[in-house]
Amino acid sequence: MLEIDTVTKRFGQVVVADALSLTVRPGDAVGVVGPNGAGKTSLFGMISGDLSPDAGEIRFAGLTVTRLDAAARCRLGVGRTYQVPRPFADLTVFENVLVAAQQGAGERGRAARATAADALARTGLSDLSDRLAGRLGLLQRKRLELARALATRPSLLLLDEVAGGLTDPEVAELVEIVRAARGDGLAVIWIEHVVRALTATVERLICLAGGRMIGDGPPAEVLASRAVQEVFLGVTP
Amino acid sequence: MNALIHGVLLGGEYALIACGLSLAFGVMRLVNIAHGDLAVCGAYLVVFLGLPVAYALPLVLPIAFGIGWLLNITLFERALKAGDLAPVLVTFGLSVVIQNLLTEGATANPRTLDGGAISLAEVGGVSVLRIIAFAVAVSVLGGLQLGLSYTGFGRRVRATADDVDTARLVGIRVRPLFAAVAGIAVATAALAGVFLGLLGTVDPYTGGLTLIFAFEAVVIGGLGSLWGTLAGGIVIGLTQQLAGLWSVKFAVLAVHLVFLAVLTFRPRGLFA
Ligand SMILES: Nc1ncnc2c1ncn2[C@@H]1O[C@H](COP(=O)(O)OP(=O)(O)OP(=O)(O)O)[C@@H](O)[C@H]1O
Ligand SMILES: [Mg+2]
Repeated sequence: MLEIDTVTKRFGQVVVADALSLTVRPGDAVGVVGPNGAGKTSLFGMISGDLSPDAGEIRFAGLTVTRLDAAARCRLGVGRTYQVPRPFADLTVFENVLVAAQQGAGERGRAARATAADALARTGLSDLSDRLAGRLGLLQRKRLELARALATRPSLLLLDEVAGGLTDPEVAELVEIVRAARGDGLAVIWIEHVVRALTATVERLICLAGGRMIGDGPPAEVLASRAVQEVFLGVTP
Repeated sequence: MNALIHGVLLGGEYALIACGLSLAFGVMRLVNIAHGDLAVCGAYLVVFLGLPVAYALPLVLPIAFGIGWLLNITLFERALKAGDLAPVLVTFGLSVVIQNLLTEGATANPRTLDGGAISLAEVGGVSVLRIIAFAVAVSVLGGLQLGLSYTGFGRRVRATADDVDTARLVGIRVRPLFAAVAGIAVATAALAGVFLGLLGTVDPYTGGLTLIFAFEAVVIGGLGSLWGTLAGGIVIGLTQQLAGLWSVKFAVLAVHLVFLAVLTFRPRGLFA
């Protein structure tokens, strides 16, 4: 469903993607690890349409989407959460999710409201529907980020550090939400520094460093490989 | 007493001009220097159509909306991509072009729009036309505010004003949305311009001063709130009228002084 074909992207001297290729099939769950500045978030930017690659192609759902903007890709089924949550602060929690259901999933009227309410229920935000999103705490913002992405009814969900800055029980809660969402055949690509959160959920792990893929395979194998161990030495315990 | 009433009514007119400016800045971060000139174009459009105002308006408003839409996709959009200064320069250029075109096409002579019998009517010494202008201004600002709060379009506008990248990320098509906002901004400006022509005179260069007052109304009211813009317009109208009691020459200066005071002591506006 997603094919990243020898994509390259540079910011000045910094190479964030170096002839990177990656294929993801429907229902796959792929974890992404790598040191700070490896190009993980940039990769999501290129998949979601926030960033355009300098070279290479991205295909999604049978279409070449390299030149499509983020709105078009969202409508095709790419959902994304930001590493640092970006709720629409002046909209209520419900409005945040409703606008995603109406625009991203293309639903109207009652169907859109039902999708929005469902996304809030799945993320445990139903009680906060009428709260202004700008007033939420970090955990709730992360949940809203997830709810809003789910409300666009994606077939591919890009999760950027869902667990960052949260306590263990909070992380466990969010992992559970993602696992439940995967029940519907949703493909997930999941960036995480907290590797524990990933290994329980994904069956494939890739490791990025300097815009290159230095590991790709079952999580245990990838984490045990020399190249990955070297990159992580002194970066994460 | 009369000055108070006149001040408030005048404030409505300023607010009607200002609301499009406020909307375009609030949603697109577009500082539209040509906004006042576009308002003046509304009055000239009625002149060119040669119809009574009541018949011309249903044509002028959609035409103005279309002009706003087109300006956005041809000029504003590009300018907004080209940095902070570009929109100011581009709309300044547009302002000059409009002034010259109007002078070419209709001479520099001041014009008045004929409102018919109603323009002579008064209640308690206050012109009925002024009261109508005020009522229209309040309805337009109130309608816009309600539309922003309670419609799907309004929700999309608020979301996009908040964070345009995230808006795209959840599927909002930003291009037509911005074009529609620009269309609304120019249509409200044109409506205000028609009232300028009905209540006084306009010439090709009226837009400049109009812009300054509208800009001051937006800043005094505080960005982001159309009710604030209405209140800001009324503050300006009242200041002008009350200072005018003392000295007509001083009136406009007093408005600018109030503006400067607000900018200095409450830079986010009185009502934000
Ligand atoms: N818009 C940008 N302009 C310039 N440099 C950028 C931009 N975005 C990212 N970079 C740089 O590209 C590199 C990769 O950034 P990226 O955010 O993709 O890394 P990451 O793997 O997500 O890191 P982290 O684990 O810290 O989130 C970094 O060095 C970053 O400073
Ligand atoms: Mg990152």
